[in-house]
Amino acid sequence: MSPPGPSPRVALFVTCLVDLIRPQVGFAALRTLEAARCTVVVPSGQTCCGQPALNSGARDEAVAIAKRTIALLEGHDAVVVPSGSCAATIRVHYPELFEHDAAWRPRAQAIAAKTYEIMAYLDEVRGWRPDTALAATATYHDSCSGLRELGVKAQPRRLLRGVEGLMLKPLKGEETCCGFGGTFCVKYPAISNAIATEKADAIEASGADLLLSGDLGCLMNMAGKLHRDGSSVRAFHAIEVIAGMGDGPAIGEDA
Amino acid sequence: MSATAFTKRADAALADPILKVAIERTASTAETKRGIAVKGFAHFEEARTRAAAIKDHVVEHLGFYLEQFEAAATAAGAQVHWARTADEACSIVIDICKAAGAKTVARSKSMMGEEIGLPHALAEAGIGRIETDLAEHIIQLADERPSHIVWPAMHKTSEQVSALFKQHHLEPHAEETIPAMAESARRHLRDGMLAADVGISGANFLVAESGAVCTVTNEGNAELSLVPPRIHIVTAGIEKLVPSMGHAVQLLRLLARSATGATLTQYTTFYTGPKRAADADGPDVMHIVLIDNGRSAMRAEGLAEMLRCIRCGACMNHCVVFRQIGGHAYGGTYPGPMGAVLTPALDGLAKNRDLPNACTLNGKCQEVCPVKIPLPTLLRGWRERSWREGLEPVSVRQGITAWAWVAQRPRLYRAAVRAAIFGMRRFGRGWIRTLPMAGGWTAHRDLPAPAAESFMARYAKGER
Amino acid sequence: MSARDDILATLGTAAPPSGAADALLADPVRPAVAGDLVATFFTALELPASGATHDRIADLADLPRAVAAYLDGHGLARAVYLPPDPRLTANGAADWSGFTLSPAIAPNEPTVLAVARLGIAETGSLVFETGPSAPMLPNFLGLHHIVVLPVAAVVAHLEDAALPGEQPRAHYWVTGVSGTTDIEGQYIRGAHGPRFLHVILVGED
Repeated sequence: MSPPGPSPRVALFVTCLVDLIRPQVGFAALRTLEAARCTVVVPSGQTCCGQPALNSGARDEAVAIAKRTIALLEGHDAVVVPSGSCAATIRVHYPELFEHDAAWRPRAQAIAAKTYEIMAYLDEVRGWRPDTALAATATYHDSCSGLRELGVKAQPRRLLRGVEGLMLKPLKGEETCCGFGGTFCVKYPAISNAIATEKADAIEASGADLLLSGDLGCLMNMAGKLHRDGSSVRAFHAIEVIAGMGDGPAIGEDA
Repeated sequence: MSATAFTKRADAALADPILKVAIERTASTAETKRGIAVKGFAHFEEARTRAAAIKDHVVEHLGFYLEQFEAAATAAGAQVHWARTADEACSIVIDICKAAGAKTVARSKSMMGEEIGLPHALAEAGIGRIETDLAEHIIQLADERPSHIVWPAMHKTSEQVSALFKQHHLEPHAEETIPAMAESARRHLRDGMLAADVGISGANFLVAESGAVCTVTNEGNAELSLVPPRIHIVTAGIEKLVPSMGHAVQLLRLLARSATGATLTQYTTFYTGPKRAADADGPDVMHIVLIDNGRSAMRAEGLAEMLRCIRCGACMNHCVVFRQIGGHAYGGTYPGPMGAVLTPALDGLAKNRDLPNACTLNGKCQEVCPVKIPLPTLLRGWRERSWREGLEPVSVRQGITAWAWVAQRPRLYRAAVRAAIFGMRRFGRGWIRTLPMAGGWTAHRDLPAPAAESFMARYAKGER
Repeated sequence: MSARDDILATLGTAAPPSGAADALLADPVRPAVAGDLVATFFTALELPASGATHDRIADLADLPRAVAAYLDGHGLARAVYLPPDPRLTANGAADWSGFTLSPAIAPNEPTVLAVARLGIAETGSLVFETGPSAPMLPNFLGLHHIVVLPVAAVVAHLEDAALPGEQPRAHYWVTGVSGTTDIEGQYIRGAHGPRFLHVILVGED
């Protein structure tokens, strides 16, 4: 079920972590967008949205990357990103970067206005529901950027409820940061570990088989902690389950 | 990355299980109670928006309101002083005390007093200091600084408090119970509080229209220490202004709810000048010290929104970093997210660059701030300044600069990705347990190994 | 340059646009207080966080009897501190025979009476001001604080608390009993201020 009318031409921006660590998230995004009757383009010059530079205070570097990224992505009907933090970088922070730049501000605002986190796009813009099944219990962690900067909260849950046989179990402290924070987790590893330990305990206590979330960085952090501690909880990016790929290898299970 | 003073303090805090219990007890209870209060307060979001607008209005016209306040307070019989720096503020207070021949001052809780170093200045001047707030009394006995702006002694266990009281109180508690300890403090502090020569308070709000100073407390200690002495001294940040009592009321509605979940604190008092001639009691003299200490500079340098802060403590109660390391690890007067923004402003960025960096930018602090301070944005601003001033470690600069350079060159980027995949997969398939240069990660968690080929490589080959 | 000149020079002293501050007073967000103000006031007083008790009498002549009942209920002697308020102490106001009246407030006064000017229904707060017949210290020294409030003096909101005109030395709101959670987060009543608050409403509906 998708809205009638011409197929939007959507640029898929897979993000650097998906590209490097877990391509199946990118393919899940591709397949769901096509199922939602989008014409998907993967601009070949894509690299990174610049978030590491932005969050490190390296403004000039962030601006340079942003300009490249804007030029690469404009000219499509929408830009869709399987990551709340990367989508927020484009949607919320690019316009801030160019606030005082008369030439680039309108271009940044234009791209921001049509950039979406993928589950929000599929649910709210396309009105699409998955048509797949997975017999499992899962618990969902709300990644902070998607939640607080983009309002991604109900959309993933609506989509996941469309996966037949999947039972969602509540996660205590589902909105509490997992301790990833991009470069934070490697700059302040002891503090990050303490935060991640509490998050892993809560995930275990949920009793779910699977951990799902919308940001690969958060998932790598939580899954990495769970696995180190001997947990049997398996982690996927939520879009993989929504795309019917939840029966594949979970994070860390690739050969 | 090499250890800094901050990371050493944080490590010590992380290794302290008693501290963790104390933090959870305080902050997690505050989180729960605030949640209940907010749920029960219809249109809380609109109230926040209005509160932010009130503070922005005041900060934008701060000079005007300060003048108005000074005129009104003076007309009511108070003496108004101005201090640019912490030292100037302390000097003014000490001079007033010395001129009055004061031997003891009774203090009610004031973070501003901490900020300007008033306890130390009083000690240097040989003036006895009676802390009347229970938590401030505890940390005075322990010779420590506050670890939270609302619960300064949250890091102390009842056993530690008991030991302090037994050591210092003339008639300490007989039973090892918290009510008995509180009773011992009530006894111990009473006479000194009532006999002090000078009473020193902070201010939660300064009301421009009337010249009133508003304090909010739960114990009644402020009132007890500000009625009997001959002299009442107020130390207040210049940003505490509000135009009128009606504006203060709107902020008061959010303050206790955000801090403790209560509707109001038990005592909300507006002091306008010293006692009137025919009053039954009250101090003869009132001095108000208006303190800048970096606030006008903050306004000029992109930190105006931080001046909205009404010192509720909600941000730190909800901060995942504060919840692990507690207040002392921040190393300054103010901890948590608001401390991470203020401390570089008050004490210099170079010494404190860890504070804005030791943050995941998750945004919960901004979400719970009653005056909607964009804390993550302000913290990012400090990071930008740190970068511009070359304060970031060389390894980080080089790493980010290299990353950014490669990220602007797709063909090079693809080659780098291929190399990274190759390199990482040599350390593990599926899960990697150790990885050179990634010790920060692998010390505590496993790292998922990359797939054999990147998304872009597979897509380019036609995989869909 | 003086500190004052320095600070004001940095900040500037231009006035805000006319009406800007007042616009920020319009339609404050606040809990609704509908209907029976006294009932709402009592509900707020009865909340666990408040720790207060209350009573109701027809007129001030009944006050000594109501105070005696309170003291008897707590096993306390009939000894109170009365502020020099003619409503309490004038000839014919109320009959305090049978009570020991403290001539001055003691640091550990067991029971203190006071008259509040207003009660706020929104929060269950009592509003006081300092004055010749209204010392402030006793209201914080007593272990038991008994507050007399005329029924017509219950108003709806905190905005209604302010005394118009020239301000007194202190205008203060008492919302529940003194308390602290400073030691291990455990709630203790009567940290420095009163441990007990008893509100006696005076007057018919």
